[in-house]
Amino acid sequence: MAEMQNSNPTILNSADLPTRLRPTATRKSEYGGIFTSALPLAPVDFESAPSSDSEDDNLLEEPIDEQEIYDLISSISDPEHPISLGELAVVSLPDIEIKPTLPDVPDSPLQTVTVLITPTITHCSLATVIGLGVRVRLEQSLPSRFRMDVRIKEGTHSTGDEVNKQLADKERVAAALENGALMGVIAKMMETCH
Amino acid sequence: MSPKVTITHLSDLTPPSQERTWLTAPHPTLPLVATCSSDKTIRVYSLTNFTLLSTITGGHKRSVRTAAWKPHMTGESVLATGSFDATVGIWRRWDSYGQEGDAGMGMSSGDKQIPTDISTAASNGTGTDTADREEDEEEWRFAVLLDGHDSEVKSVSWSASGMLLATCSRDKSIWIWEDLDDGDNNFETVAVMQEHGGDVKCVSWHPSEECLASGSYDDTIRLWREDLDDWGQVACIKGHGGTVWFLDWEGEETEGNWSGPVADSVSESALSALQAQWRSQRALSGPRLLSCSDDRTVRVWRRQPKESQQTGPLSSATTGIPSIIRPTGTDEVWEEDAVLPRAHELPVYAVAWSKRTGLVASTGADGRIALYEERFVTREQEQEQQADSDAMDTTSGDVLRTEWVLVGVQDGAHGIYEINHVAWAKRADRRPGGEEEVLVSTADDGSVKVWTLTR
Repeated sequence: MAEMQNSNPTILNSADLPTRLRPTATRKSEYGGIFTSALPLAPVDFESAPSSDSEDDNLLEEPIDEQEIYDLISSISDPEHPISLGELAVVSLPDIEIKPTLPDVPDSPLQTVTVLITPTITHCSLATVIGLGVRVRLEQSLPSRFRMDVRIKEGTHSTGDEVNKQLADKERVAAALENGALMGVIAKMMETCH
Repeated sequence: MSPKVTITHLSDLTPPSQERTWLTAPHPTLPLVATCSSDKTIRVYSLTNFTLLSTITGGHKRSVRTAAWKPHMTGESVLATGSFDATVGIWRRWDSYGQEGDAGMGMSSGDKQIPTDISTAASNGTGTDTADREEDEEEWRFAVLLDGHDSEVKSVSWSASGMLLATCSRDKSIWIWEDLDDGDNNFETVAVMQEHGGDVKCVSWHPSEECLASGSYDDTIRLWREDLDDWGQVACIKGHGGTVWFLDWEGEETEGNWSGPVADSVSESALSALQAQWRSQRALSGPRLLSCSDDRTVRVWRRQPKESQQTGPLSSATTGIPSIIRPTGTDEVWEEDAVLPRAHELPVYAVAWSKRTGLVASTGADGRIALYEERFVTREQEQEQQADSDAMDTTSGDVLRTEWVLVGVQDGAHGIYEINHVAWAKRADRRPGGEEEVLVSTADDGSVKVWTLTR
């Protein structure tokens, strides 16, 4: 293994990170593993879904907000450190946004999740792997009506555009999912996910 | 402008793949399609009754991304498939689907046909049990594996003659193989082109000439021709602001009954006169090229007529080859003919230009199918536009102008799923079979849907 790219990263206290998971430890099972969407859904958080009444087709689906996206991805481990992306502030709640994919089609269920990633150092070559890990985690956890838009936050990486183009390329992501070595790294990063 | 074509769901192809399907290739003559799936198989469906006929398994170790039928085959079908496992497979099968009670299937060499129990094949179900698999293996014969690419194969295309096969890959290269047709399934590598600066996403041969178009992750479209035994790039089109996902060519006059753009409020004879004039004006450019991109746009490209081009950099002065051998430069100048009306919010993964009607269909990650029609710009419209911007000069004179109009949109064509491919095919579920076309769309959930269009 090559020398670490950032051997002394800034780490946030995990108690300070925003989460909806901690207060009720038993709820963790709802978010269990990568096949969450296949599990029966428990009724939760009706107060955060004021619009659910108008969406008949989504009645059975758990409302998903930015906090839940954050909870899904903040527990992913950095490929270099046994520290979570939340603690490293690689992902943060204000850099997550959910919006309708087709604003001109009011009844479309499609929503786009945008996640901006802040690499710990501007030349980190692992940015692509981290981005891929985030995208894979979301693809495997969220219902198919979500479109993923995982990008490096502007100005935080020397080759951000290049990384973004790879992360947005459906065919490359699909091929990466069939690459055993790469998926081994991603699986390791996700061992710490709830 | 209000949509004028209604897109109606005719049928799903059943049973579907349980995993992502990438592309569905309609057979050039028979009512069949081949669907490529992430489950490493190719499914062959009937367009007559929309059911599964065969599942081709065991050839590829990863997702099958692409497939293309070899043209001009009689009595036998030949399918080329490209996979993320970096290989290209060639598969063969004696034509016998629907043989019983169907004389119009275009079969000729009766002695070569292996009779197949069609009722068994059609009710084949998921094709997972051993008996079915053995039967499939008997039907589809694995002919040869073309090995050469270093990484995922993205697209394959047969030339109009069927003699050349182009393949492209994430390894940035395009390979051209010659089918030696020696009865021994030998293919010879004719050329390897490595000019693209990124994954080559698609290749597509000119409808009649040996000219190849390619689209890439480097955002360019390139055109390739053979010149003195060497395959080389003759044009590099920079126009798209993102990965070029797919290409298709305009049909040539002989292919279908499409004769040119259409016009409202013009008599039939006046329209044919317009179309004849338009065709003669376009004759020197040859068929146009259609492209779609990650930049959400669909564009049409046109070659500048050869006669008006200057001698290119490959003239005798720069190459040292006597001009008697190389009388003109091979470089071509391609210019943007049109940007189609914007209809997509996310990457556009596929476009298809109907050879029969001239309609263009596009689809992509937003799950939408859009239809466009090319129309003549009437003199009145032209005058209105000129009044709006008096900068227009009057040189256009007799040159006919056209515009592309969005004539139909189907949102959520595969529910919430992304659509990876769309293609035109001849409708085959009704008799007597007319010239009507259907659209075939292929999606992330494994579903393949057939659509009819009504005005």
